[in-house]
Amino acid sequence: MQFFQFTEEQDMLRKAVREFAEAEIAPKAAEWDEKDYCPMELFPIMGELGLTGIFVPEEYGGSGMGYVERAICLEEIARYSAGLAIALMTHHLGMAPILDHGTEEQKAKYLPELCAGTKLCGLATTEPGGGSDYTGQKSTAELVDGQWVLNGRKCFITNYQADVCVLTAVSGQDEKGRNQLSVYIIDKGTCGFSMGRHENKLGLRGSNTGDLILNDVKVPQENLIGKAGGGNKIGMAAIGEVGRAGMTAICVGILRGCVEEGVKFANERILYGKPIAKLQSIQFDIAGIRTDYEAAKLLLYSASGKKDAKLPATTDYAIAKYFASEAAVRSAKKTMELMGGYGVINEYPVGRFLRDALASIPSGGTSHIQKLIIAGSTLSDFKA
Amino acid sequence: MALNIIVCIKPVPDPQYYDKVSIDPQTKRITREGIPTIINPVDKNGIEAALQLKKTYGGKVTVITMAPPNAVENLREALAMGADEAVLLSDRAFGGADTLATSYTLAKGIEKIGEFDVIFCGVESADGATAQVASQLGEWLGIPHLWNVFSLENLEEKTMRVKTKIENGSMEWEVNLPCLFGVARQLNKPRFISAMGIIKAKNKPLATWGKNDLIVEDARLGLTGSPTKAGEIYTPDLRRKGELLSGPLDEIVDTVIEKLRTAGITIRTASTSCSAGEGGA
Amino acid sequence: MKNKIWVYAEQVESALDRVTLELLTKARDLAKALKGDTEIAAVLLGKNVKRLCETLADYGTDVIYVGESDALELYNPILYSRLITDLVKQEDPDILLFGATAIGSELGPTVAAQLKTGVAAHCVDIRINEKGLMVASVPSFGGKILGEILCPDNRPQMASVKPGIFLQGEKEPREPAIHWLDTTELQPEKLSLKAIRIERKAPAGVPLDKADVVFCGGYGIGAKENWDKLETLASRVGGAAASTRPVVDEGWAPGEEVMVGTSGKSIRPKAYVGFGISGATHHVCGMKDSGLVISVNKDDKAPVFEVSDFNIVADATKVLDLLMEKIQ
Repeated sequence: MQFFQFTEEQDMLRKAVREFAEAEIAPKAAEWDEKDYCPMELFPIMGELGLTGIFVPEEYGGSGMGYVERAICLEEIARYSAGLAIALMTHHLGMAPILDHGTEEQKAKYLPELCAGTKLCGLATTEPGGGSDYTGQKSTAELVDGQWVLNGRKCFITNYQADVCVLTAVSGQDEKGRNQLSVYIIDKGTCGFSMGRHENKLGLRGSNTGDLILNDVKVPQENLIGKAGGGNKIGMAAIGEVGRAGMTAICVGILRGCVEEGVKFANERILYGKPIAKLQSIQFDIAGIRTDYEAAKLLLYSASGKKDAKLPATTDYAIAKYFASEAAVRSAKKTMELMGGYGVINEYPVGRFLRDALASIPSGGTSHIQKLIIAGSTLSDFKA
Repeated sequence: MALNIIVCIKPVPDPQYYDKVSIDPQTKRITREGIPTIINPVDKNGIEAALQLKKTYGGKVTVITMAPPNAVENLREALAMGADEAVLLSDRAFGGADTLATSYTLAKGIEKIGEFDVIFCGVESADGATAQVASQLGEWLGIPHLWNVFSLENLEEKTMRVKTKIENGSMEWEVNLPCLFGVARQLNKPRFISAMGIIKAKNKPLATWGKNDLIVEDARLGLTGSPTKAGEIYTPDLRRKGELLSGPLDEIVDTVIEKLRTAGITIRTASTSCSAGEGGA
Repeated sequence: MKNKIWVYAEQVESALDRVTLELLTKARDLAKALKGDTEIAAVLLGKNVKRLCETLADYGTDVIYVGESDALELYNPILYSRLITDLVKQEDPDILLFGATAIGSELGPTVAAQLKTGVAAHCVDIRINEKGLMVASVPSFGGKILGEILCPDNRPQMASVKPGIFLQGEKEPREPAIHWLDTTELQPEKLSLKAIRIERKAPAGVPLDKADVVFCGGYGIGAKENWDKLETLASRVGGAAASTRPVVDEGWAPGEEVMVGTSGKSIRPKAYVGFGISGATHHVCGMKDSGLVISVNKDDKAPVFEVSDFNIVADATKVLDLLMEKIQ
C-alpha cells in the first residue's frame, strides 16, 4: 500500500483553483449568501479554466481529468462559497449520465457547451412524494406516437433554472409491478416544462433551488439516455457516485474553512492577556476540528481515487459523505463556539459554514440513506 | 509575423506573508519558513503580455528564470498559463548575485536561447524590489529598453509604440525590435491557470542550464560579479505610543479635531465660524 | 585628491524635481563625514535648463555639468545615459546619486550597468562608515527588513532615493563652476528608441507630498463614496487624500499617484489620519515619518494601532461622517 499523495499536476490544479477562488469568489461569497444570488456569470469563466467540464474527455470539450481533480476544484471553491460549489457540482451531476450512458450524438450535442460553461446543466429526480424513496417517484413518461410525454413535478432541484435538465420519470412497471424509471434530457423552454416556486433556503444559498413542473412535455426519442427502464441504475449511479462525491467535497471545503478561520481567530483574539490559542479548551476544539477535516479529506480522496481507477466506490462515497457532512456540522458549530460572540456576527463566515453544512446533509442523499447503504454493504461483505 | 518572445520571471516568497518575515537573532538571517513561493506577481503581467502578443501575431513564448532548483515548479506554472518553453538557470556559481550579476546571467541564458523580438520583465520583484534587473538586462544585451511600461499601443513590422508611466502623466515611445520592456501592473490582468493548461504543461520543454552550459566569464557571476555587497540587516522599529481614545464617538471626533489643531492644522468648525459674525449659536 | 559627490539633477519640462534638492542636501551631510575636501556636483541635462543652475547653486553645488540641447528636450535613456557615463568616465566621481523617480529608477541602473558598478536601489538612508565608504540602507520584503548595502571596490558608488525620503535643507549658496557638455553629436532621430511625446496633468488640490495633513483611506473604508468624503475633508483643511494599494485596485481612489507605501509615495505631513487601514508594513513605511498619527479601525487587533499615536476603535464610515458634519 502506497501512502496517499497528490500528483504534481493535482497540486498545480489546486493552487490554480485556489488563486481563482481567492480573487473572484472569496470577496463576494458573503454577499451572494445574503442576497441568495447565484453568480452564473462565473460559469463561462470557470469554463475557460476547465472546471465546468473537468472530468469530461477533451474530445467533447472537457479537461480530460478525473474525479480526484473534480473533488479538488469543489473543495477549493466550497472553502469560500459552498453555494457556488453546489451549483457547479450539480452541473457536473447532470452531465455525468450524458457522458457515461449517452449516445455519441447526445454527447456531441450537449457536452461542448456544458463544458464551456455557456449552458447550465442540472439533475432532477426528487419529488414532493419523496427523494429518499427514489423509485417511489410519481412523474410519468408515456410513449405516444414515437414521442415521450412527461407529466409530474420535481422539487428541491438545485440548478432548476438549468438550460439542460437531466430528469427521471416512471416509464413503466416491471413484471413484479415495481416502477421502472427512464432518464431524459429536456431543454429549457420546451413546451409544458416550467420552473415553479423558488425555495428560500437556510444554507447553500447562492445556488438556485426550486420546483420543476412537467405538463405534457413532449421529449423526442433521441433525448432518452440509455434504454427505457434503465433509469433506476443510471440515476442511482449518478447520485451515488457523482452527487454524493460532490457534496462530500463541499463539506471538506467547509471543514477547511473551519480550521483556517478557527486558527486565525484563536491566534488573534486576546483574553486574559494572551491569545486564546494558549488555552487548553480552545486547543481541544482546534484538535477536534482538524481531525474531522483530515479524516473527511482522506475519505473523499480515497473514494475518488478508486472511482478514477474504475473500481466500485459507491459505499466508499456513502461513508465519506455521511462522515464529512456530519463532521462539517459538528466542526462548524465548534468553530462558532470557539469564536464566542463573534461567531454569531454575520461579518464572519462561520455562521454561513454551519448553515451550509446543515443544508448539505439532505443534499445528495440524507445521512439516514447513507447509513442504510453502509449497513447494507457491511452486513453482506464482512463475515462474522 | 511570428514573434519570439522571452519573459523573465522570479520566484519570490508570497508577499501576503511579508509582515511575518523576521530576522533570526541567532543566525542573523531572514526567516521565511512556511511562506510559499510564487511567481513574482508583476512578472505574470509580463507573461500575459507575451501570451496576448503570441495570440495576435503567432510565435513562441519562452520563460526564463535564474533561481534555485525548485523554481521548476514556478516555471511549470508559467507553462500552464500558456508559455511554450521554459529555461531554468541554476548553479551554485550564480548564487549571491546582485542586480548586475543577475542581469548578466540572464543575458547569457537568453543569448543561448537564440533570436528574440521582445523581452518582458516585471518592473520590480516583491521581495528585493530593486527594480533594476530589467534596465540592466537591456544594457547587457545591447538592446533598447524601457521601464514602467503600462500600455502597448501598436506593433508594426519591426517597431512598437508603448507608453511608460511617469509622475503625473506618461511618455509615449517608438522602439525598434528587438527590445525589452519592464512592465507595470496596470498593463493587463494576468489570466488564471486552466486545467487544460496544466495538462499541456507536463509535456512542454523545460531545460535546466548551469554555468557550463553557458558561455560566461566567471568573474561576472554570482557574488564575485556583484559590485554591491550586503552588510547588516535589521527590522525597523516603527512603534508609537498607541493611546486608545474612548468614550462616545462624538466626543472622540472632537478630540481628533483638537489634536489636529495642536499639530498646526487650521480647521473651521461650526463653533469657530459662528464667532466670525452673523448667526446665532 | 578631492572626494566627488555627484547628484543627477532631474528635471522634467524645465522644472527641477524636488528630489534633486533633497539629494543635494544629503550630499552636503555626506561631504562633512568624508575625510578631506569634497566637491559636490550636479549633472543637468535637457532643453532650456540653463536657468536651473541658479537653484542648483543655491543648494550647495561646487560644479554643474550642463548638457543643454534641443536634442535633450525629451528624456531618452540612451542619450542621457551615454552622456552621463562618458562624463563619469572622464571625471571619476566617488559617489553618484539619483532620485528614484520613474525616470531615475531607469536611468540610474542603466548608467550603473554601463559603468559596471553597483547601485543601491530605493534607499531610505545613506551614511559614510569609518572606512570612508558609502553605506546605503535598503528595504526589502515590503519594508519589513532593512539591509545595508556597500559598493566597496567599484566606482562610482551609486544609490537611488525616492522623493520625500530625505529632507530638503536650508539654502547654502555657492558659486559653482559650470561646464558645458558637448551635445553636437546627438541625433535622437537615429536612435532605436525615440521619445514621441510627454503628457502630464498637474493633480487638483494640494500635492500629497506638500500637504500638512493627510487623510488616508484603506480597504476598511469600504466604498468609493467614502473616498470622496476623504477628498472633500482634505480640501476643507488644506490637506490631501491618500490611499493604500487595495483602495486603488478597487477603483475607489483615482490611481497610484495617491498611494502611500514602499511601492508608492513616502510622506511626512504634520498630521496623518488613517481610516480603515490595517497597518501592513509596506504602507507604514511610507508614512512613518509623519508628525501626529491617528488611526481609525473597527478591528481592535489591527496592527496599525501599534504604529499610531492615538487609536480609535470604530467604524471608519461613522467617524468620517462625524468629521464631515463638524469640519467646514
